[in-house]
Amino acid sequence: MDLSPLAARRTAVLAVEVPGWSRTRCALEEHVRHRGWRLAGSPADADLLVVCGRPGARLTAAVDHVWSQLPGPRARAEVTTAVDVPAVLDRAATELADGAAQRRDAADRPADPEPGTTATGNGDMGDTDMDDDSDDGDMGDQDMGDMDHGDMDHGDMDHGDMDHGDMDMPMPAGIGLAGGGDDDQLTDPDALDLDVLHVPLGPVLPHWPAGLLLHTTLQGDLVVAARAEVLLPADDSPTDAPVHGTPAGRWDAVATLLALAGWDDAATRAARVRDALLAGGQPPEAERLARRIIRSRLLRWSLRGLGRLPEGDAHDRLRHWLEGTEQRRSTELTAVAELVTGLDLATARLVVASLDLDTADRVTVPVEAGS
Amino acid sequence: MTVTEVSVGWVPVAAALLLVVAAAAASLDGALAARSAGQPLGGGLLTPVAETARLFGQRRRTTAAADLPLQRIGGAGLLTAALLMVAVVPFGRWTVADLTVGIVWFNAMDVLVWAAVWLAGWGPNSAHALVGGYRFLAQALSYELPLMFALTAPAVAADSLRLGDVVAAQSGLWFVVWMPVAFAVFCVAVAGFSVWGPLGAPIGATTAGGVLVEAAGVDRWLISAGRYALLTAGAAFGATAFLGGGHGPLLPAWLWLLVKTAGLLTVLVALRRRLPVVAPERFAAPAWLVALPLVLLQLLVVSVVVVVQA
Repeated sequence: MDLSPLAARRTAVLAVEVPGWSRTRCALEEHVRHRGWRLAGSPADADLLVVCGRPGARLTAAVDHVWSQLPGPRARAEVTTAVDVPAVLDRAATELADGAAQRRDAADRPADPEPGTTATGNGDMGDTDMDDDSDDGDMGDQDMGDMDHGDMDHGDMDHGDMDHGDMDMPMPAGIGLAGGGDDDQLTDPDALDLDVLHVPLGPVLPHWPAGLLLHTTLQGDLVVAARAEVLLPADDSPTDAPVHGTPAGRWDAVATLLALAGWDDAATRAARVRDALLAGGQPPEAERLARRIIRSRLLRWSLRGLGRLPEGDAHDRLRHWLEGTEQRRSTELTAVAELVTGLDLATARLVVASLDLDTADRVTVPVEAGS
Repeated sequence: MTVTEVSVGWVPVAAALLLVVAAAAASLDGALAARSAGQPLGGGLLTPVAETARLFGQRRRTTAAADLPLQRIGGAGLLTAALLMVAVVPFGRWTVADLTVGIVWFNAMDVLVWAAVWLAGWGPNSAHALVGGYRFLAQALSYELPLMFALTAPAVAADSLRLGDVVAAQSGLWFVVWMPVAFAVFCVAVAGFSVWGPLGAPIGATTAGGVLVEAAGVDRWLISAGRYALLTAGAAFGATAFLGGGHGPLLPAWLWLLVKTAGLLTVLVALRRRLPVVAPERFAAPAWLVALPLVLLQLLVVSVVVVVQA
């Protein structure tokens, strides 16, 4: 029995937003919802990989690596304008349903997972150039703690950082074991001295600012050091106007923060308000939803005190978005790295979402915090 | 009402019944999700079927240097624990295993979930999955002790650890009426071991899916189905230990249990739409400082009542 028509009803889409193409990503999310599909939370969860915009070289390399992690059947598409989204999704769905093509794709793939290269820890700062003579096979180049997760960044090999290439260590599948101690170990407030891992967050990560790559050093689940940069788009500019700084952009930020806070219902409704605003309407349910979100005690309790800036914490910023009283301000990448240092991974994600970063108008200067 | 142990041949029927009720819960969740997305409810009702078709057609996926045996044990552990839980729950006049220590057995199975979720997080050798595992253990530390004391209350009142006796002791008055705190704590703990709703942090979006981040195909299905099965098993146990089990007018006992289980399950599923996720580190303080003392007080009240009545 062919189950694929039934399976297609729940197609999971991993959306990749290139800095500047937020309007396209919003359109993608809207059409995914209208088809009864859903957004994927990770590469393993996804059937479709849809890139919104034209990524630059390093972002392309990261997307290629994520593509290799989709389990399959799988399909991949790129879309650059909001109006093209339905056609692109139709084509991708056809490709996904093409059993013969999927079997060919599966046969061509290696049986074993490809180990990704990892982001650098607090190593040198000079790796922003597109240095493509990197060499996957050379263990000495790899940092510790390669977790082969979907967010591995291929283009970001660090040649200067040799301090973990210790060949005496057992390296299953060519991956160094997570190290305890060493010169990497920083003071842990809980005094647990947990393993040190270098984990890149982004650039392909749902509910995450477009193109942001945050190199984190984790001890347990605690971010002890972080360095932020933005992976650039290719040299063309989007045709659609950005959603940042508009009422729709505020609701987009609300939807992102609520999705991370685990309140799926309110997040979906906020995204619907956003899409109605983008379509030029004045959604009547916006006010009621805003009141409901502001009134939620559990949400206030979860967000209270997170990402404290002079003008307030994460919940204050959420309230300002909902009431339309926020002041546009530009958060520097240094500030992002500083704000997340010392937090646990999950809290760090909430704090980043609460900043509503606009990565489209940023230059790629790495900045470091911690250590 | 006496409870009789049925022959082993009925075990697959009991397992199928658990999965059918769990699928109904997933359908309800799908329909509620479709409603909030502004989509027709019918499509949402098909969610468990469509998702099963999707995952069964998907390639299995491994990660570099994964601890496969442990990962698979963990992935299958949730569904296994749920099946073993319902084995002691009397379905009207019948039960699969009429254990004299039924309540302790249920408690032991929910502790098994600790290992299962942790192994599922540890196995893939992935940072986000590992953090998901950490977060589950932190959360379990908060709900487990209150849950153990909450389970003690019906046992003390019935003067037995056998679930058949607990049901019989509720022929006059349901336990939920005079031990509401124990029931509330129990319901929160069911959400906890099912990694559900406000206690869903170990698979939450903040860790990109946490324990589920690397799972695809049948591995993902086992964990997802296991969560719904645990929620269902928890609801069935709650209906038995607090809501009078098969007691009720007119309808046969098995139907009453089914109705009560479905009711409790519906509340648990619907609550998820209304509440955000609570971070495990924030959950610890109210669990230890509020829930634990309250449930101990509840136990004291129950014990005094039992002594006075005797």
